[in-house]
Amino acid sequence: MTPNGETVVEAKLETGGSVKRPVGQGLIRQRADFRNGNEAAALAARDIGFHVMGYFPITPSTEVAETLSEMQAEGAHDIVMVPGDGEHGAAGICYGAALGGGRVLNVTSSQGLLYALEQMPVQAGTRVPMVLNVATRTISGPLDIRGDHSDLYFVLNTGWIILLARDPQAVYDLNFAAVRIGEHKDVRLPVLVAYDGFFTSHQKRRLEIFDDADAVRAFIGPPGAPVTALDPTRPVTFGPYMNDPDLINNKMQLTEAMEAAKRVIPEVLAELATLSGRVYPVVDAYRMEDAEAAVVLLNSAAETAKEVADRLRAEGRRVGVVSLNSLRPFPGREIRELFKNVRAALVGDRSDSYGAGNGNLALEIRAALQQDAENHTLILNRIYGLGGRDFYDADAEQFFAEVLEAAAQGSVDTPFAYHGAYAGDPEKKPPAGLPAIAAEEVSRGMAKVTQDEKSGRLKVELEPLWAMTAVPGRVAPGHGGCPGCGIFPVLHQAYSVLEGDLVVLFQTGCAMVVTTAYPRTSHRITYIHNLFQNGAATMSGLVEMYLERMRRGELPGSPDITFMMVTGDGGMDIGMGPALGAANRNHRMIILEYDNQGYMNTGAQLSYATPMGHRTSTSEVGEAKTGKAFHHKDTPQIFAACHLPYVFTASEGYPEDFMRKVAKAQWYAKRRGLVYGKVLSFCPLNWRTTDDAAEDVLQAAIDSCFFPLYEVEKGHTTLTYDPDAVGRRRPVADWLGLMGKTRHLLGPDNAERLEAIENEADRRWRRLKIMHGHEGL
Amino acid sequence: MDDTVSLPHKDRFFELRFESIGGLGAHAAGQILATAAVLRMGLNGAHFSSYGSEKKGSLIKSFIRLGAADQPIRTSAPVESPDVVVVFHGALLSHPATVAGLRANGTLIFTGPPGEIPDGLARLPRTATVIRIDAQRIAAEEKSRPNAVLTGTLAEAVALFDTDTLLQALSDEFARKRPEAVASNEAAFRRGTAEFEILPDVGRVEDDLPIIRPDPFWGYQTAPPGGIILNTGSTAWNDLTTSRTGWLPVLDIEKCIHCGMCDMACPDLCLVWTAEGNQPVPTAVKLSGIDYRYCKGCMRCIETCPTGAMTREAETPGLVAQLNKPLFPQLVD
Repeated sequence: MTPNGETVVEAKLETGGSVKRPVGQGLIRQRADFRNGNEAAALAARDIGFHVMGYFPITPSTEVAETLSEMQAEGAHDIVMVPGDGEHGAAGICYGAALGGGRVLNVTSSQGLLYALEQMPVQAGTRVPMVLNVATRTISGPLDIRGDHSDLYFVLNTGWIILLARDPQAVYDLNFAAVRIGEHKDVRLPVLVAYDGFFTSHQKRRLEIFDDADAVRAFIGPPGAPVTALDPTRPVTFGPYMNDPDLINNKMQLTEAMEAAKRVIPEVLAELATLSGRVYPVVDAYRMEDAEAAVVLLNSAAETAKEVADRLRAEGRRVGVVSLNSLRPFPGREIRELFKNVRAALVGDRSDSYGAGNGNLALEIRAALQQDAENHTLILNRIYGLGGRDFYDADAEQFFAEVLEAAAQGSVDTPFAYHGAYAGDPEKKPPAGLPAIAAEEVSRGMAKVTQDEKSGRLKVELEPLWAMTAVPGRVAPGHGGCPGCGIFPVLHQAYSVLEGDLVVLFQTGCAMVVTTAYPRTSHRITYIHNLFQNGAATMSGLVEMYLERMRRGELPGSPDITFMMVTGDGGMDIGMGPALGAANRNHRMIILEYDNQGYMNTGAQLSYATPMGHRTSTSEVGEAKTGKAFHHKDTPQIFAACHLPYVFTASEGYPEDFMRKVAKAQWYAKRRGLVYGKVLSFCPLNWRTTDDAAEDVLQAAIDSCFFPLYEVEKGHTTLTYDPDAVGRRRPVADWLGLMGKTRHLLGPDNAERLEAIENEADRRWRRLKIMHGHEGL
Repeated sequence: MDDTVSLPHKDRFFELRFESIGGLGAHAAGQILATAAVLRMGLNGAHFSSYGSEKKGSLIKSFIRLGAADQPIRTSAPVESPDVVVVFHGALLSHPATVAGLRANGTLIFTGPPGEIPDGLARLPRTATVIRIDAQRIAAEEKSRPNAVLTGTLAEAVALFDTDTLLQALSDEFARKRPEAVASNEAAFRRGTAEFEILPDVGRVEDDLPIIRPDPFWGYQTAPPGGIILNTGSTAWNDLTTSRTGWLPVLDIEKCIHCGMCDMACPDLCLVWTAEGNQPVPTAVKLSGIDYRYCKGCMRCIETCPTGAMTREAETPGLVAQLNKPLFPQLVD
């Protein structure tokens, strides 16, 4: 304490000496804030002033882009934020931007990290620094959005430096360090800052942020890339074709850069500590002075274990907690030093390396200690906290109890085990649920399809809507969709006319999440989920297996199955490549897209289908920005260009029109090939309307010709509803005025943007009308 | 900074848990409260919520952990032994998990209309303070959300919090995000501070309530491998009553022409139809009612009804029991 009663911390610097300062008064001006890990990453990004951010939303890291979007709308930073078409695309955007010599940021989690993985060794191997924040999360499948380290462990071999941030303060601080470390002339490597998804990403804590822009700028310095792709006076070849004998030398250089990083990281962290007063040794050793037993954990769980260590110390037990601030390079020397006199250590891995008999951290700790012939530390390994299972004090207590027992008896009874898995109760049987749907129950001729002899095109006659209510639902009630959700009317209408056996694949998205929350399912027919990068390819494979097993006579009863993939508009961004692949191969299947104009499952980020100017959480509205910057993707026309037998648009607000198209879709998917349909689907939560506004909003979208209802049948375009012809054409503003996400567009400041939206809607509509009236289009 | 703030317990955190469904503002309220505690009251604190993907109407819990300024907060685990539980939706009181772990001398604040004491309160500690406020009604009257009302009640009822400080924090937050909503939220907050009632002598339990950490249905020795689900349509066992926020659609059978349009618009698949002459196309199908177990109260059926046969009514106690028409009476209990 100072004479004024302020708490003082003493910060030891690895380069020698120490810094003393009262909390809240660092060597540069700082101010207190209350933020979570994602917000801390966003604040650091703002303060660092990255040039470009390439990103793709994924839980739980999305909030970084959302926070930056909000700040950008207020004019608080000028980072160029580029929404990728997926994480692979985002990583490409980042790589390209980084080759341009400026500072680059990306943020991701889980599948996103794995989807970007291919690009990571490229970036490291060609020695192009950038910063990637990872809010760590379980990898699929089955899909789990909560936190563990299974994504992070895949990055260990990519050549990226990996810093670990145990709390929001560390997220903030280590981002500054990451820039300097990666750009150091002896290192020149990309840097990943990892923090625990939800436990850190979504937990608000007290932290201090820099309040002295000049001092931060001085610390960060100019980017200073030795070569860039933007200097025509010095042309450079990046990424040559390099086989043996050269590649091994490139990797030797990379390993040397990692070795250099072992020196540079403590230097940079020490320098940062002189600004902040906060100290990050590469190995965080808590109460390890004379410890005979240690628990080793990465990130947030280590903090929980410290609480328990304090209690045990108070009881006279010699225990400590070890955690790493740098995972790559791995601090082997520091670990050996620290464990010289430790009798036993329990290493907790928040991910398994299945079949290895140890998690990755345990393997690396063992390997590090094995290099010290004098070391006799006993190692226990526990796999814990998978899929976001909480780590309570009681869990840490058990870890300490086990490791103290090993230390006392001088041997390990159980070297490797899962902690927190549940065996189950054999007496428990699940309730039966609703019976499966048999083909004959749903083959009632609700839509009669006939082929016009002259044109070869199809005609559909529908039974009245009341009759359709007798068709049993392939999807059960009790799902977790939001009140008013349009996805279920879309499914219900489609299922009312689809006949016979149906196998569906839902790509990741709202419909998938709300119908299959384990251990229950809403589906009464066979349902598959695959990640939305790849649903269409998965369905292609299943279709071909069906056809081949039918040919070989292996399917009992020779079922006549229709295959349908259901996706959101987001899935048609990240999954566009495989969907076009399936379309080009013309597999016999339906792709049904419910278009609610954004990534609604993750909190309404923009998709490419989001119309221009609309407010989403990554296209915020403020003084400096007005919603999404570019026009909506015309997905039906993209599929039409694949020359499919049938492409359509529809709206859940026009059930008869939609159901006629679904009946045609089934006819074509069973006989001719792939069908794509886009259905405008109401989302009151994120369109910011009341739950019961569907009819008016959908009608206005259609009457304003923003969302034309049409079909392209064997290459022939037909408008199935023409607002001009029935005198119902309205300006786009009529539609935009009905939703909270677009009301700002009617203000006087946005007149130009509104005109641009109106013009684009009209241009696309006129084009369609010409096609409608033309025999050959 | 207010130096007079002191926590009731030196040796542990002061912890709060908000029990709600998505859309009522529990997360936002927790954030405003915890931010004020840290940045305006000089405490250390943590705030986080437990919810999955971004859905309205599904259960969420929001947690606040407060300590002295120099007390580090390290654990990131959920609050299991709260000093205060605030219930944002009356129907949640029927779940024992809602009040699990409440400390013997803790405080329960819940939203509900005045009058009869709701079921389930006997499971509270005898020594707990139990507070009721009709946050739903006040919020509707003030064009605010229940969170503003409940924050007001919390500010007034829990000694640790200073009412003016929290009101200022609430107003500043709205001034930043939705300036047009400042006045209505201030009014809702003020009524929250004034219009609550303390219900005496409702709890029957001695001591702290036990923590509930339910086991999952399946374990590794019993679950089918690969995460497959073999029982079709099992969400029919879910009860979504708590997704409604005080209103439900009611069918007037006399006005219904059984056209089927509501069925095409209903997201919850909860309309009950009776077919006559069933195969394959029935001769007639009649709408006979609504299974409120699944209805989330979106009112799209009302919007789409051409004859006004569906109307929006307040969900008064006993109404569902009186009107409910089960979809699967033989299958789901």
